[in-house]
Amino acid sequence: MCSERTGAIIEVSMRINDFSSEWMNCDRVSTFMARLVSQKSVDPMFHANLFSTALNELLEVVFFNHGPQGSFTCRVGRVGDVETIEIELPYDEKTLNFYTDVLKTLDRPDVEELYQASLFEAGQVDARLGLLELAVDYKAKMSVLVAADQLTLRAEIALGWVQ
Amino acid sequence: MISKRAFDVEFNVNNQEFMIAGKLRPQNEAEIEGLLQEIDKAAAQVRGTFFLNVKRLAYLNSIAFRALGRLIADLAKRRFDMQFVIVTSGVLGWPTRKFSSIAQQSFNVSIAEYDKDFYPGQSFLEDGGFIPILRTQTRLTWRHERGILPKHGLRAGMEIADICCGIGDFAMLMNREFSPARLLALDHSRSSLDYARKVAAEFGMTDIEYVHGDASGIMIDDNSFDFVTCRHSLQIFDRPELIVRELFRICKPGGRVYVTNEKISQCFGEPRGESITAAYAEVADLFAHFKMDLEFGPKSRRALADAGFDDIIIDSFTVANTDGKPEEFAEMVTAWEDVFINEMCRDRGDAPERVAMIQRGLQDHMKAALHPSGYAGWPVWAASGRKPS
Ligand SMILES: C[S@@+](CC[C@H](N)C(=O)[O-])C[C@H]1O[C@@H](n2cnc3c(N)ncnc32)[C@H](O)[C@@H]1O
Repeated sequence: MCSERTGAIIEVSMRINDFSSEWMNCDRVSTFMARLVSQKSVDPMFHANLFSTALNELLEVVFFNHGPQGSFTCRVGRVGDVETIEIELPYDEKTLNFYTDVLKTLDRPDVEELYQASLFEAGQVDARLGLLELAVDYKAKMSVLVAADQLTLRAEIALGWVQ
Repeated sequence: MISKRAFDVEFNVNNQEFMIAGKLRPQNEAEIEGLLQEIDKAAAQVRGTFFLNVKRLAYLNSIAFRALGRLIADLAKRRFDMQFVIVTSGVLGWPTRKFSSIAQQSFNVSIAEYDKDFYPGQSFLEDGGFIPILRTQTRLTWRHERGILPKHGLRAGMEIADICCGIGDFAMLMNREFSPARLLALDHSRSSLDYARKVAAEFGMTDIEYVHGDASGIMIDDNSFDFVTCRHSLQIFDRPELIVRELFRICKPGGRVYVTNEKISQCFGEPRGESITAAYAEVADLFAHFKMDLEFGPKSRRALADAGFDDIIIDSFTVANTDGKPEEFAEMVTAWEDVFINEMCRDRGDAPERVAMIQRGLQDHMKAALHPSGYAGWPVWAASGRKPS
């Protein structure tokens, strides 16, 4: 397990189909985990609100983009001042392509303009919107680890700077 | 589905203000189509400036944000003769930053951070200068309040919130004396909260939740507390009704809200009563200049009634030099003098004669307190009301 790297505090696991059977699960999981990881912070409400806002975006992206069968795990922790979030999900080719493409996009120098465009241009909601938001608005560092049957979406966010 | 209860909206046509509170995390834009139409309809009834108040919107996902942003941009384009102001709060980490990106899209959309832009007296209250005042005041009022609080409904084992808690000393005293089941203390001043947390830790009190917040948009669910206190604070806001409304909202039905306020012009002392009375009339005027009403005390009853409370109780008590050590009373007046003279008179740009007259009166008040047969007092009004069940 990667508990040293994540400084794991808590994790939640369920079947991906259970997770994606109800939209409110994103809200429930993010609110629940945010409350727990924020208990010890100086201003727990402030921290929980910000943490939940960021985690919920990740969960919403995963809700729409995952493989058909398997387990879903969301693990959160802290290393120093950095919050870590890891979401393990089953993947198929389409899912893998989606995440690897988005990550490449996040490295582009014009990622900020891309984010603004996906916010304000007409048309369907861009499936990448939540990840763009995390990268631009929260300066999250994001990566994807690929194993045989699971893909791990990992985000590191320093929430302290916002305050 | 987003549950109907996840967010609240309210349109106040007189203030031209549309408020959204709670949580907006829809699965798709269609889910909040109704909300978008309501905003659109509300804006159609307004001329001049339309306020979109999101101070108590605690959660907003990017799907909803995008929909709101596009609606506002579209409204701003269609109604280019109007101004659109998004009222945010600095209490949460994301809203001001996030909504600013909407404002950047249109020339007639702007952001007002409510807590920064609308409280004219806030700078005096939020930095360190006020700490000595609050500390001595609470020490002196507690002798009276400790006895009257049960009459206003405070019991052991209650869930209590102290809104505008300052340096948290009143919360600590309630914690010690009334063993609450939960005690939350909220203020907008980070320096006061830091101080409060430090003192609480020194006394080994780990069970008080100190929260940074805005009393006019408290991030707490409706009906959360049995007893809500707000001391010496309605008097510092230019629109105290906004605060009372929030105190009412977070109080449980059947619970009570307790407020204390001053009528500073009624401070008295002998000897040199005339000089003292004249100076405090000037002090009331000084606060009024910064849109604070230090004459609020007797208005507390009406403020509670207007907000919908019943079973209203109002008392007044006088903190006096004869309560305990007269030096403590004098210490409080010294702390007042420091802020009134060195900060407020200076910022108002007072003429030296006026400053001297106020200073003389305050010093006479101290002398009256310390005089072997002198009598000096500071009257305070305590009022509470019950939220109907
Ligand atoms: C006169 S002090 C009273 C403090 C305390 N209740 C006491 O009696 O010692 C007013 C307090 O209101 C706080 N305050 C000012 N604006 C506020 C706001 N918008 N929300 C919450 N607290 C606020 C100030 O920081 C200050 O601590």
